[in-house]
Order: sequence, then C-alpha cells, then structure tokens
Amino acid sequence: MSEELEYYAQNRRGVSGWFKVRGYVIERKLYALHRITGILIVLFILPHFYSTGWHPGLWWDALLGVIVTFHVANGLRLTLLELFGIGIGRPLLVKKPFQRPVSIEGKQRYLLAISIIIFIVLAIIWSYYAILVKPLMGG
Amino acid sequence: MESSSVMESSMDLWKPVGTVKIRVYKYNPRKDFAPGWKEYEIEVSRGTTILDALLRIKEETDPSLAFRYSCGQALCGSCAMMVNGRQMLICRTRVLEVAKGGKIELRPLDNFPIIRDLACDFKSFFDKHRAVKPWIIRKDVEELENPTGDYKQTIEEYARYYQFTDCLKCGACYSACPTVATDHEYLGPQALSQAYRYIVDTRDDGLEERIAVVDSDHGCWRCHFATSCSDVCPKYVDPAQGIQLLKKLILRSKLGFKPHKPAEVLPSKIGEVKRG
Amino acid sequence: MRESTKMLLHYVTALIIIVTGLIHLLANNDPNVGKLISSNTYLYLGNMAIFLAALLYHAFNGIRVILIELVPDKCWTKLIGWAILLIGVVTYIVGFQVLLMALGLI
Repeated sequence: MSEELEYYAQNRRGVSGWFKVRGYVIERKLYALHRITGILIVLFILPHFYSTGWHPGLWWDALLGVIVTFHVANGLRLTLLELFGIGIGRPLLVKKPFQRPVSIEGKQRYLLAISIIIFIVLAIIWSYYAILVKPLMGG
Repeated sequence: MESSSVMESSMDLWKPVGTVKIRVYKYNPRKDFAPGWKEYEIEVSRGTTILDALLRIKEETDPSLAFRYSCGQALCGSCAMMVNGRQMLICRTRVLEVAKGGKIELRPLDNFPIIRDLACDFKSFFDKHRAVKPWIIRKDVEELENPTGDYKQTIEEYARYYQFTDCLKCGACYSACPTVATDHEYLGPQALSQAYRYIVDTRDDGLEERIAVVDSDHGCWRCHFATSCSDVCPKYVDPAQGIQLLKKLILRSKLGFKPHKPAEVLPSKIGEVKRG
Repeated sequence: MRESTKMLLHYVTALIIIVTGLIHLLANNDPNVGKLISSNTYLYLGNMAIFLAALLYHAFNGIRVILIELVPDKCWTKLIGWAILLIGVVTYIVGFQVLLMALGLI
C-alpha cells in the first residue's frame, strides 16, 4: 500500500527518524549514538584490516578510543537489559497517576550511570595510552 | 458560604487567560501537491485542552480541518497526534501545558500514512496487531466451544501481564519508534507487547503460533531499546519492557523452558447454562 | 537460522570481542604486558583468530540489521543476508592471511 502513496502521504520519517532525539528520554539519544559509533567503528576497521594494522595517531586515536569505549559501555548495558533482563523491572499491578515507565526510570537508570562511568574510565585509559604511552613506544 | 479571596473557585479554570497560536499541518493527498501549514489564533483558559481548541477552530474558523477524536477522556486512543514534535493524546493535554512562547505545532502521527490533515490511516498498524494473534489460544478446543467452568488464575499470574492490557491502540508508541521510521515491516512496540501479554497469560497456550511471528526478521529483535515507546505511552503500558521480557522469554524457550503451564479449568455454573 | 539465534550470537560475540580485544590492545600498546603477550606467538595467533571471527560476525551482523531496516522487502532481506555472509567469509580469509604475515608465520 505504501508504494501507491506519494512521498508526503506516506509520512515516513526515514533515516532522519533514527536521529530524531529532541523531546525524548536520554536512552533515545544513547540509541542514536550507539548506531553512529557502530558505523564509525566499521569504517575504521576496514582500512585497519586491509593495510596491515593502519592506526591513526595521537588525537585521532583518542577520538577512536572515545567512539569504541562508548559502543562497548552502552553495548554492555544493552546486553544486560535485553538478554538477562537485569534492570528492566517487573510489570506493575497498580499504576499511579502520571506513572513513569519502570523499564526506563526504575533500576535501569543505575545501570545507565554505571555504564557511563565505565565509558569515561575506559576512554581516559585509552586516551592516556594513545597520547602519552604510544608516542614513547615508537608510534 | 463565602469564598475566601485566597481560595480559587474551580470556575477560574475556564476564565480566558490569553491567546495561543496553533499551527496545524494541512494536507489533502487527493488535492494538494505538497503539505502546508495554517495558523489559527485562539483564546484559551487554563483548562482548555488541545481538543477543545481544535473543535472551536472547526466550529468557528475552519470547518475543513480534519482530525480524529471520540471519548475526550483518554480511553479510546483516537486523538493521538504530534504536539510540538512529541506524540500525545490531545484530549487530555492542556494547551497552556505545552504552548512554547504562546505557540503550538500540530502534526499527524509520524510514520502513519495520512488520510487528511491530522487524521492517519491505521490499517497497517491493525494488520500487525492481528498478525500476533491477540486472543487466547488453547489446545482444548472443546472447552472453548462448550465451557464447563472458568480458567484458574492467581493474582500474581494476573500481575505479570495486566499492565499491558491497558493498551488503547492509539499508535503513539508505533509512531515514536525509530525502527518504524525506516522499516515498514517491523511489527512495532504495540503488537510485540501485546504478543508478550498473550504469551505470558497463563490461560493461553499459543507460544508456538506466536513465536514464528515475533522471532522473525522484523520481529522483536529489531528493537534496540530506544525506549521512546514507553516514554510517550499515554496509559503507561511500557511496551519497551514488554519487548525486552519477550526477548528473554524467547531465549528461555530455546533452552526448553516454557513460560507457564496452561491454566486448568475450575468447574462452575457456567457449564450448566442451557442456551435455547 | 532463526533470528533469535543470530542475535544471541551477536551478543555472545560482543562479549568475546571485549575479552580478546583487550588482549590485542594490551599487546600492541602496553610496553610491559605487551611483550609478555606477544612472546607467545601461537597463543596470540589463537586469540587473534577468535577476535577476528567474533569482530567480523558482530560487525557484519550489525550492518545486516541496519540494511534490513532500510530495505525491508523479503527478497532483498535474503539477498542481503547471503551477500553479507559471503563478504564476511572472504574478509576473514583475507584478514587471517594478513594476520599470519604480520606475525611472521608466512
């Protein structure tokens, strides 16, 4: 049915819908960032394979570190939530007025805080190695 | 009984307090080449809902404005639309609650085909809901046809799925989902959380029938926990939770764990009623 | 293969990547631990072989998911799945060869 309708009548957001994050909770923004960092990592990996370990230097390496560590930290959060259901909460029997969803604003927020801390710690360690240790080792 | 000057009368809620500009998306796919916008200025009070405002616009200013509404009390789910870029039921959203700088922008729900102006086509949405078989499936067909009693269910078993029964099928969650924006085959948070609601209902025995639908290329695994569905749901159904629990249930069923035994029948007088 | 199997592997390979990737990063960046890891060439080769397989599966499955969401039609979905599998296998063979060359084994 969608093929018969014109573009405006279909009213599909398309790829811009993936990045429409204004007005929604922070987890929506993290989803968009997870997608972007995943694509950027794939774009890094291809030259890394095909030209025997090509690696960017210094600040570009630190940026790569931020991208990879974010994807890892958020990925850990998503694995715990989706595979094991840790932090997802239980369905409610009684709902209060203006109840906020348990899966977002319950224990999941603790998991979110932990994953952000993991991200910051790992990013700092990677940047330390990239900017200070690696040049001393010979690049 | 004299009213104190400090205590407000409840009628103060309906005293006009100012005007608000409402910018409405106008598009008739049969006539217009491209969508446009039309702005209306309307006097509002603290208690005026967006639905009240639209009805007044339709009565007094522009009778051609098309939009859906029914109950006016957040029970039917007909009036969901985009208000300042976020999905809401307009019958229970006050104008002054969402007006930014005295302006409101109304659009039809994202990712739904438009019939006209603010009214969308829900056919595909309902087809996906039907695809997950949203009814109790049992192997004992004889009992379903000629019941001898009620199905036994404890309050704890009821609590496992009650939250998801409040769904109005308003379409807000489906519209907010980023996967739906590109993937028109994706079942959507509403259908998937209703699939979970029925699978986990102890009266139901239809896991095998539904697993083929939800464990597919465009089933629950296309959810990436963006949580916008739960964020915008007007009945706090929390479909994101339903989908993650569904994923866990599917993986457990792969390891051989069934969600529950089908509920047994408690014989009661229902079987004694003879129909003439 | 059911979608749940593919996605379960996606999560499992993510965990494998974290462990084996950490070893790879330490081997290449840390002066002390790095020498210790690199000195056991065959163990390191084994680690890298597993890392490469897990990384390629995770990355290409991610690309497959993104492509399926962009082009949901059934025939395209099948084509994308098989094409990604082919590219993944070829990339693994090429990558393994590069790995053997880098470790000085061929």
